[in-house]
Amino acid sequence: MKSNRLLTYLQVTPLFLVLLLFVIVPLALVLIVSFFRYQMLVGLVPDFTFKNYIDLLSNPTSYKLYFSTIKFTLIVLAITGVLGFWVAYFLVFHVRNLLVAIGLFLVCTVPFWTSNIIRMISWRPVLGTEGLINTALLESGLVGEPISWLLFSDFAVIVAYVHLFTLFMIVPIFNAMARIDKALLEAAVDAGATRWGVVWNVVLPLSKTGIALGAVFVVTLVMGDFFVVAVMSGGLSGSATSGIFNDLQFLNYPRAAANAVVLLIIVLLIATAIFRLVDVRKELVR
Amino acid sequence: MDGQPSGSGEIRLVNVTKTFGDMDAVKSIDLVIPHGSYCCLVGPSGCGKTTILRMIAGHETPTSGEIHIGEQMVVGLKPVQRGTAMMFQSYALFPHLSVLDNVAFYLKMRDVAKAERRQRAREMLERVQLDHLAERMPAMLSGGQQQRVALARALITNPRVLLLDEPLSALDEFLRLRMRGELKSLQNELGITFVHVTHTQPEAIALADMVVVMDHGRIDQADTARHIFSRPATPYVARFMGGQNVLSGIVTETSGGVLAIADASGPTYAASASGTMPAVGTPMSFVVRRDRIALTKGASAAAGEVNAVNGRVIATEYQGTYVKVTLDVASREAFVANIGDDTYFADPLRVGDEVTARWATADVHVLERADTGAAIDPYAEDAA
Repeated sequence: MKSNRLLTYLQVTPLFLVLLLFVIVPLALVLIVSFFRYQMLVGLVPDFTFKNYIDLLSNPTSYKLYFSTIKFTLIVLAITGVLGFWVAYFLVFHVRNLLVAIGLFLVCTVPFWTSNIIRMISWRPVLGTEGLINTALLESGLVGEPISWLLFSDFAVIVAYVHLFTLFMIVPIFNAMARIDKALLEAAVDAGATRWGVVWNVVLPLSKTGIALGAVFVVTLVMGDFFVVAVMSGGLSGSATSGIFNDLQFLNYPRAAANAVVLLIIVLLIATAIFRLVDVRKELVR
Repeated sequence: MDGQPSGSGEIRLVNVTKTFGDMDAVKSIDLVIPHGSYCCLVGPSGCGKTTILRMIAGHETPTSGEIHIGEQMVVGLKPVQRGTAMMFQSYALFPHLSVLDNVAFYLKMRDVAKAERRQRAREMLERVQLDHLAERMPAMLSGGQQQRVALARALITNPRVLLLDEPLSALDEFLRLRMRGELKSLQNELGITFVHVTHTQPEAIALADMVVVMDHGRIDQADTARHIFSRPATPYVARFMGGQNVLSGIVTETSGGVLAIADASGPTYAASASGTMPAVGTPMSFVVRRDRIALTKGASAAAGEVNAVNGRVIATEYQGTYVKVTLDVASREAFVANIGDDTYFADPLRVGDEVTARWATADVHVLERADTGAAIDPYAEDAA
């Protein structure tokens, strides 16, 4: 019995070490540093001060950045949620041939075959003032002058986010939907449900786990981004993470750490709220 | 009620064909199921019985042909417009809804007010004696309880045809027999048409007013259970339903309404012919029921004696009221005699004993189709 227990601990050890080294230690470091003092030209000075947090929370810019981040998060969440749901629905319930479904699934991953930077730069010839869309609109005479808000705007940021993150919504929803017994849909039709009634009363409730997991992916990705927002808005918009990035540029590690802790708390709160709505653990064992 | 089609639950299939890719699941079938009857579609898996059920339900569209329910041509109509309700093999209960909401689902789809639909669902649950489990989730119910919920969910639509896809296959033996009885009495009480798909022959015989035996997308025979069992049309039906010995030979003589049939391996048989007399020389198959065989010890069948074969006992199996004695005779497949237990135990047999099996000409039933002599079909050794 004793050796059995030892064996169990031994089996858990590798995972524990990985989590300790790559999650707990870095997080603890960030938390500790967030209470350090920053001194110009010197950098880090060990201390226990709340100054970094007070700095952050008393600065209107950080509120603006957080507001903008949360705005992007909610808009992207809504768009990727709707897109992800219907793409997954189509793949699971309308494509009867498994090979075709796998093929279409691969098509969804095409944006990931190239680097992040190239994916974003590629939007310029499409959205730019002399880009594809504006040229088409001008040529067809629908607009008199090029639409300027297509590129370097919040719109462009959202387009890029949706482009990048919809797959993270599709995959978990696809996974949840694939486990729905097709007979349930027929049973619903048998009971007089319309096509929309089947989706609303059967498919949507049974895909909740997938939607929740996808939402967590999208929230963490959008909240953790500073690069897309910088490139696509042309520096006009920012995000909470770009605040952290700026502090890092000035070697103000303590304030960056404090900002990271606040961001982490917000993301955790959102994730908790999502998991409150959907009992993912229960659904995963199902 | 609720403005749905009422009236006759007679089902007519006219020249219905269903193809999946290049495979014919159902080949130009004609079938009439009378209103208010209990019809069993029986056959091995892949014979097309479930496809027929799904086409009647409206979950599959026939490639060609017509399906009528009552006066209505229903191809292209939705299930609710057909007045059919289906009970699925896996029951297909909605896992995210309580038992009560599962049953009330149909009413919800019809925009019945919440209080009323809960009330009506509760009444339906009382009817299947499950009202005490109304708030449970389906995963917390036993197989038998789940089945009752599925039944309640189907019946609340007030259908004129109830379609059951292997409803008893997921239950254990004891529950299966009980539910079988309940289904039958429910059908008597409601007086609507039941179409029940099964691959179990005793189930079909016990339940059905009308048994439809299928094979490879075709109907081999559609008749009352009694006829299917005691007067099968083809060697396939005889073997599939069980309880029969299938024998074959060539007609050697026809006189006075009696056929003389000679088996290439020796024995000669006699059978009374029904309908037209076949010509001398035609191959012919017939069946003799297992419980109409008499056995005597010793290989005593004389050359030229009709309806007598010599054989050796290869197995005996006690079945309670009778003993199943399997003989090795000269023909291709094993020959089985079911001997009443009293008769058998008065003079028991042992494996290896030589015996003679005899039967009366009146117990011989000539089949419409001769055995093709192709590879022995998989149902030669029945499961019964």
